[in-house]
Amino acid sequence: MEQQLDFLVDKVVAELQKKLAELGEKTSGPKAEAAVEGKAAPQQGIAPVTATKPQETHSAPAEPKGTALIPNPKWKEGLDELLASTPARIGVWRTGVRPLTKTMLQLRRDHAAAVDAVYGEVSQEVLDQFSLFTVETQYDNTENYLKRPDMGRVLTEESVRLIQERCQKRPQVQIVVSDGLSASAVDANLKDVLPSLMDSLKSYGLSCGTPFFVKGGRVASMDHIGEILEPEVLVLLIGERPGLVTAHSMSAYMCYRPRKGMVESERTVISNIHRQGTSPIEAGAHIGTILAKMLEQKASGVKLVL
Amino acid sequence: MDEQWIQSVGIDVGTSTTKMIVSRLRLGRMSSTFSLPRYQIVERQLLYASQVHSTPLLGFDEIDAEGIGAILQAEYEKAQISLSSIKSGAVIITGETASKKNAQHIVHLLAERSGDFVVATAGADLEGVLAGKGAGAEKRSQALQGTVVNVDIGGGTANAAYFQRGRAIATVTFHVGGRLIRLEREDVVTYVSPNIQEWLKAKGLHIAVGQRVGLAELTEVATQMARSMLDYLTGKERHVSGLLVTGPHLRGEFPVEELTVSGGVGQLMTGPPVRSMADVSRYGDFGPLLGYVLQQERERGSYPVRWLDPEQTVRATVIGAGMQSTEISGSTVHIKPELLPIKNIPILKLEFTEEQLADPARIHQEVAAIYQLGERLFDKTTGIPFALAISGVGYCSYALLQTIAQELADQYRHYFAESRTMVVICETDMAKALGQGLALRCKGEPEIICIDQVRVEYGDYIDLGEPISGTIIPVVVKTLAFDEKA
Repeated sequence: MEQQLDFLVDKVVAELQKKLAELGEKTSGPKAEAAVEGKAAPQQGIAPVTATKPQETHSAPAEPKGTALIPNPKWKEGLDELLASTPARIGVWRTGVRPLTKTMLQLRRDHAAAVDAVYGEVSQEVLDQFSLFTVETQYDNTENYLKRPDMGRVLTEESVRLIQERCQKRPQVQIVVSDGLSASAVDANLKDVLPSLMDSLKSYGLSCGTPFFVKGGRVASMDHIGEILEPEVLVLLIGERPGLVTAHSMSAYMCYRPRKGMVESERTVISNIHRQGTSPIEAGAHIGTILAKMLEQKASGVKLVL
Repeated sequence: MDEQWIQSVGIDVGTSTTKMIVSRLRLGRMSSTFSLPRYQIVERQLLYASQVHSTPLLGFDEIDAEGIGAILQAEYEKAQISLSSIKSGAVIITGETASKKNAQHIVHLLAERSGDFVVATAGADLEGVLAGKGAGAEKRSQALQGTVVNVDIGGGTANAAYFQRGRAIATVTFHVGGRLIRLEREDVVTYVSPNIQEWLKAKGLHIAVGQRVGLAELTEVATQMARSMLDYLTGKERHVSGLLVTGPHLRGEFPVEELTVSGGVGQLMTGPPVRSMADVSRYGDFGPLLGYVLQQERERGSYPVRWLDPEQTVRATVIGAGMQSTEISGSTVHIKPELLPIKNIPILKLEFTEEQLADPARIHQEVAAIYQLGERLFDKTTGIPFALAISGVGYCSYALLQTIAQELADQYRHYFAESRTMVVICETDMAKALGQGLALRCKGEPEIICIDQVRVEYGDYIDLGEPISGTIIPVVVKTLAFDEKA
């Protein structure tokens, strides 16, 4: 019985192999290509699961460059020009009235990355690299953080004590890093933005206080930190709300003499700092210039003349 | 600062005519307030166009500098523009005038005296490109798939530039022009340019100084000349027609979709029909006839190209020089304002590949190789031996930036110890970070100028103007050669 079963299985497998080989020979023309594409897609879907190393999801995964899926474009160079001009999902082709499996999977993958960015945690390794100690806001947990932005603006009592204990008071420049809505933004960009910013401060001859990391921070946590440390200028490097183009985008919010009751128009921001957006090293260098101008003009936000 | 106008001048001293224009260029911020600043020239307005003057010459081989000076003086007064308000622009000596013995001297003299950042330019390639830009061929090429050629036919030469998707991809220059055959008393030939003798022979045409020439005979010469040029441009035949080419030949097929003809002869195409030798010789040369036969070729439609009217004809080059020569660098840069402007810096190009960037040892090698080339090509100077153009760096991490900055700085100080200023031009937006990395290492020895987002090629020359509002650097790239692929 068992032998018979084995024999049957072998026969079926051999038949399948033959069919597959025949199919392989016929792969020419757009139809066959589409068929191959359909097969390849599920494999790609599996790939991220097999990559189990946690570091890999943390260190900025290379986002796929825009490639056209249109089988025989009338004007390839023109299409490439369009693709190069935008990170939007264009030239994705279709099957019937629906997107290709590949496109759908990519969209879901990007959405998953966005969700991961919100719920993820900044890697301790990255924080250690720049000797950043960690304090927390009153956010409590991510669910609460999302529902109660006000709680992400105030530090816990323990954190206030820690900052007072470990940080230089009244520095010229205070650097603060926060996960905000994207922990992976910090993982991906801090190692490029922060040292470039430090170089820039050095070039301008500006002195910097003790930088630290705020877990569960909102932009306006700058105000509370301003009250505690009274820096002349403060820059907060914080993860942005992730989108489907990138989940690793970071903003730099800058403020002259931050304090409670500051209005949003008094903050200066450089946003969209990531691989495909504002260049992280160039942003870091430019932040230094903005801080120098703030100190010179004693102003920030809309009052600052850049 | 969201918007600013700068005034720009263009001066074209050609084989037969000299003209100048004044324009103003609007610089506008292209990026949102939440991004790094990025400025571009968003509008170009022509403020004043001079009359077309005859180029004053002293004898056959010298340009009358004082004559030109007087013309320009009068034009500036007429335009009611003071020299101090001119912030940019270009002087170009074109056609056969460029080969006069004092051409170099004059072009620099004019540039010096024409405003703060008016640059001296020369060269048939650049002339063709500027004319193509002035005639609108560059802009036109952005709107279609194929290649657009503009040929600017003046008195002594015809400069053709090929544009594709808004980029100049090739140039070629012909000995084709209105003043190559000159006439007196309607039909007496007083001059036949030696540059076309070989071509005349190959074509079996005879025309000699002193002879009287009939309309039919001269029309045959003009027609053959026009066809030879068109044969070459469209790639129909390049052997015999190639005899008219001066300088390097085209290194490829370059199929043409659209054609425009600018320059003085371009303007003559739209003139009245030429029916007698009196009509032909009204400027003392066969220019009107050359324009007329070109118009006939256009109407006949025997070449597989679409002929279009250029936006400018006789003033295409001067408008290109005045309005289209200036670019703006990226706005996050590293400069020392007191070191600017700098003029006529040759470009050395350092093109990295991904594999090279992954290996610090190979970065070291590449930098050494390019500096060694620079050492061989350029004289030792306490100034700026060359500007290093870096391309091929895609995403640049801080770590990679450090490696590049270290190699560039260390080796520069080794190979060019006497140079007090180092100029680097990056293709991608990284100049401020790289510039600060270099400056922290060099500590003023040498000083660093690092700009970005300007496209330059090996063999180009570059001029950098004084910054406008702090960080906007006007740049003029003087293209002298084209890559095989470009």
